[in-house]
Amino acid sequence: MARDSGTRTLISHAQLRRGRGKVVYWTLLTVVVVVFTLVFLGPLYWMVTGALKSGQEIAQTPPTLFPKDPQPQNYVDAWNNLDLAKLLFNTFYYAAGALFFQLVLDTAAAYSLSKLRPVLGNVILSLMLATLMIPAMVLIVPQYVTVIDLPILHINLLDSPFAIWLPLVANAFNIFLLKRFFDSIPEELMAAAVMDGATPLRTLWSIILPMSRPILGVVSIFAVTAVWKDFLWPKLVMPSPETRTISVGIYAFSGGTPMNVVVAASVIAAIPTVIIFLIFQRNIMSGLTTGSIKG
Amino acid sequence: MAITTVPGTTRPDRPASPIPARPRRRSLRRALVDNLTGHAFLIGAVLCFAVFSWYPMIRGIVMSFQRTRRGETTWVGWDNYARILDDPSFWTAWKNTIYFTVLALVLGYAVPFLVAILLNEFRHFRGYLRILVYLPVMLPPASALFLFKYYAYDPSEAGLFNAILAALHLPTSEWMQSPEMTMPAMVIASTWMNMGSAVLIYLAALQNIPGELYEAAELDGAGIWRRILTVTIPQTRLILLLMAMMQIVATMQLFIEPLILANGAGAEDSATSVAYLIYQHGFFQNDLNGAAALGVIMLVVLAGFSAVYARLTSRQD
Amino acid sequence: MSVPQYRKAAALALVAGLGLSLTACSTKSDDGGSADGKVTITIDCQPVGAQKELLQNWNDDVAEFQRQNPDIIIKSVSVGEQCNNPPDFTARLAGGTMTDVFYGYMTDLQQVLDSGQAMDITEYVNTETIPTWDSVDPALKEVFSDGGKLYAIPVKNYSMGLVYNKVLFQRAGLDPNNPPKTWPEVREAAKKIAALGDGIAGYAEYSAGNTGGWHFTALLYSQGGQILTPDGTKADFNNPLGRQVLQNLKDMRYGDNSMGSRQLLQWGDLLTNAAAGKVGMFIGAPDTTQAIVSQFQGRFQDWAMGPMPGQDGPAKATLGGGEGYFFKKGLTPEQVRAGLKWIAFQKLTPGKGQFDYVRAKPQNYPVGLPQPLLFANGTEAQKQELELRKANANVDTANFAAFEANPVPIKGEPRNAQAIYAILDAAMSGVLTNPNADIDALLKTAEDKVNQLLAAER
Repeated sequence: MARDSGTRTLISHAQLRRGRGKVVYWTLLTVVVVVFTLVFLGPLYWMVTGALKSGQEIAQTPPTLFPKDPQPQNYVDAWNNLDLAKLLFNTFYYAAGALFFQLVLDTAAAYSLSKLRPVLGNVILSLMLATLMIPAMVLIVPQYVTVIDLPILHINLLDSPFAIWLPLVANAFNIFLLKRFFDSIPEELMAAAVMDGATPLRTLWSIILPMSRPILGVVSIFAVTAVWKDFLWPKLVMPSPETRTISVGIYAFSGGTPMNVVVAASVIAAIPTVIIFLIFQRNIMSGLTTGSIKG
Repeated sequence: MAITTVPGTTRPDRPASPIPARPRRRSLRRALVDNLTGHAFLIGAVLCFAVFSWYPMIRGIVMSFQRTRRGETTWVGWDNYARILDDPSFWTAWKNTIYFTVLALVLGYAVPFLVAILLNEFRHFRGYLRILVYLPVMLPPASALFLFKYYAYDPSEAGLFNAILAALHLPTSEWMQSPEMTMPAMVIASTWMNMGSAVLIYLAALQNIPGELYEAAELDGAGIWRRILTVTIPQTRLILLLMAMMQIVATMQLFIEPLILANGAGAEDSATSVAYLIYQHGFFQNDLNGAAALGVIMLVVLAGFSAVYARLTSRQD
Repeated sequence: MSVPQYRKAAALALVAGLGLSLTACSTKSDDGGSADGKVTITIDCQPVGAQKELLQNWNDDVAEFQRQNPDIIIKSVSVGEQCNNPPDFTARLAGGTMTDVFYGYMTDLQQVLDSGQAMDITEYVNTETIPTWDSVDPALKEVFSDGGKLYAIPVKNYSMGLVYNKVLFQRAGLDPNNPPKTWPEVREAAKKIAALGDGIAGYAEYSAGNTGGWHFTALLYSQGGQILTPDGTKADFNNPLGRQVLQNLKDMRYGDNSMGSRQLLQWGDLLTNAAAGKVGMFIGAPDTTQAIVSQFQGRFQDWAMGPMPGQDGPAKATLGGGEGYFFKKGLTPEQVRAGLKWIAFQKLTPGKGQFDYVRAKPQNYPVGLPQPLLFANGTEAQKQELELRKANANVDTANFAAFEANPVPIKGEPRNAQAIYAILDAAMSGVLTNPNADIDALLKTAEDKVNQLLAAER
């Protein structure tokens, strides 16, 4: 816990270990731990137990701390009526595909821009970076019209997972992060590989990628959370109930479903990611912090 | 991805290339091949950018000058813009969006930084506190917002927030039903569910500050606030500026909060955002052209803002 | 794995990624006719899983229909709790991803025509494809026609009245068989019901998600007003009639505090509260009681219905609306005929499909509601349907007697209804959430916006 006790922060350790400092430190720590638990865990407790209450109990004043007459049926209804298994599967499927396409295509592009540097590479890079300035909402309508009827090919991508996967590849931030990382890999390593007659693909695979694990981790986290968090785009391009994501599905059903069942569905929807997060939290935390700053 | 490191020196696939007999022609062909290889690696991403980013950008501008009726498209000049600007909702939506952005800057921007500074001082429960702060980020956004909508912001005293306020003998609020509280309530919900990532990024930045700087400041007799002002903030300036920019662009696109918390427009249009207006035009009023025009206006505003911002921040250097 | 294999795998992945991205996209078109001479059609608005019995009925109907017509294959698609949720509907229209035969409201005709997705089915519709066609109310056929061409088959028609909870009426000392007939009476009753406490609203009303504007329209019709001028070019609600609508609500909400504290309700919110026994009265069509039962876990024995109240006497008019099935452009004649046959079977045959009252009677699903009002009065089909309905009623038809005995002239929804409703939501939320709401200002703002919208239309 006191992992980096060697580093000096705002307040010196010595100060915190002495008399008054120590008292203040422990008081503050206790207060923060209690308050944070209430603020961040409290609502989740409220959500889990609230979904167990009956419609009548929810409307009670003041609200009850424990459900008086727990109704696990709300969870069963949520699972069955909203077809949560399907919604969760869809969401994970889209996230996995988005991860795959971004890792393959964005890595290849960043590698090319950083190491192979073909003609017009810089122009392409600046065109890509220019899209960083364009907020998603601005493009939502023309992008939607495009997905309905792809130029030249005249294919309709609605309800097809590619409508989620491919637009996410056009992510200049990923390419920027990857390219910057690849730039930091010494040219000598590349030169040595070329001397050995390695093809560019082989160099990428056996030299660049093994060194790039941290940044690939960061890009992966971004790719997965983007799918997880996105709402309007999947709502538009996945209009059928069978293809919805979890967020869109819960929203779509909220209008015609009792509110306890909606909240029960929200709880179930949160469980898989919270578990994944708790398992991988060390990697995610370090990936996010180191990657986003130094990457 | 399974990645095994393969020493580059093991063995080449083909015999080492002989010394080229005609260096000139070979290097030319070589350059050609190299370029083709380079573009082959690029093509996938470039196609995606072209189809889903560059082309829609142009198409959006084109659409904003057109009108489609019964499957037929005609050029209408600035008509769509005139219509959008005439609509009183347009100004309400911008007013609301800017108000949200400003409020989110005050609350959503300052709070994560202060929390990060605080967490960085603790030597116990570090992991626990970090997980707590990041936990809401892992919820699907709709889940988190339904929690607020149904349980926290219930206007009667059956709601969580009002129950707490009532227990403390403070005046209760009607939250989303009161036009004055709509935006603050949305900012609270939005900050709660999004601040985790900002806190982690700030924490990382704080850990990169050399301890000697604090040491020196302390020797100069600087108190805690003074140290924050003279060491912490200047040392994290770059990341602070970047995050401010990113947050403003994100909050200007406010959409899911009004949609779920306020059932769309909210009390007396107090929740209508520009993004929600785009959605209304495109998908309720069957007016994709008007929605495209709104998008272009938003782009111009944000581009103008970015330009001013870049100007201001670079001047300080 | 040796090195070259790795490389191959990576190359393969890259190529596969690119190739897939270009080719493997699913297209939505289905050509209908298949090699073995069978006709396939897709149909939406299949009930969702939550509506267990309705879904079972639908699936049974499909099986029975396919047995009778071995050359037709019906593919059912469920599009959500509300078959026509405006943004999703618009998205499907814009994207052309509707089913071959697709559900829509009567108010959707213009939008469907604008999208260029509707098929003119005039030449296919006759008593051969739909045996009961001559009995269908001509007014409903008119609603789905444009320029003498028919674009959809009506399958449901309703008009609104005052829905009320008999149990709460009893508890509040009101006569459950004598619902209020005027808005002042509604106000009195609401006050008594709200006095029961326990978070019960005497009268509940919508104000979000376009449903506020929808009900504003219904309330305005009851006053004798209209949303648009007859030529459809100007808003026509910023007048004493519109003011009265909002004033009534304001008096109940803030004068008497009889509308409960939870506002900004949209469709499901109000019905959830109603099903939980927290709502005394609201205006709605007879089948809202069905939604309260089948989706929101309420009991239909509790609910009764009176005619739409008016300001000082019976309502001048009541909002009516309905649903139908459109046909997607480009279907083959065989597909159109198959679709018509299915609609005839499931929606327009007394004793079958939606009129299979024998099947519905033992289910948790009310039989005996005074709807769907599809067949014109005095026609053969109407008599058959009514007889079957009376014979199999499982709700006390007395609960709807007041509604049926006092018919109010029915008035359809305005042109461009959904966009206008979105605007009027703000006026409704204004009086229901702001004690100091300025009714004149609210109406003026809404009028400006509607006029602006109409101007842009032309």
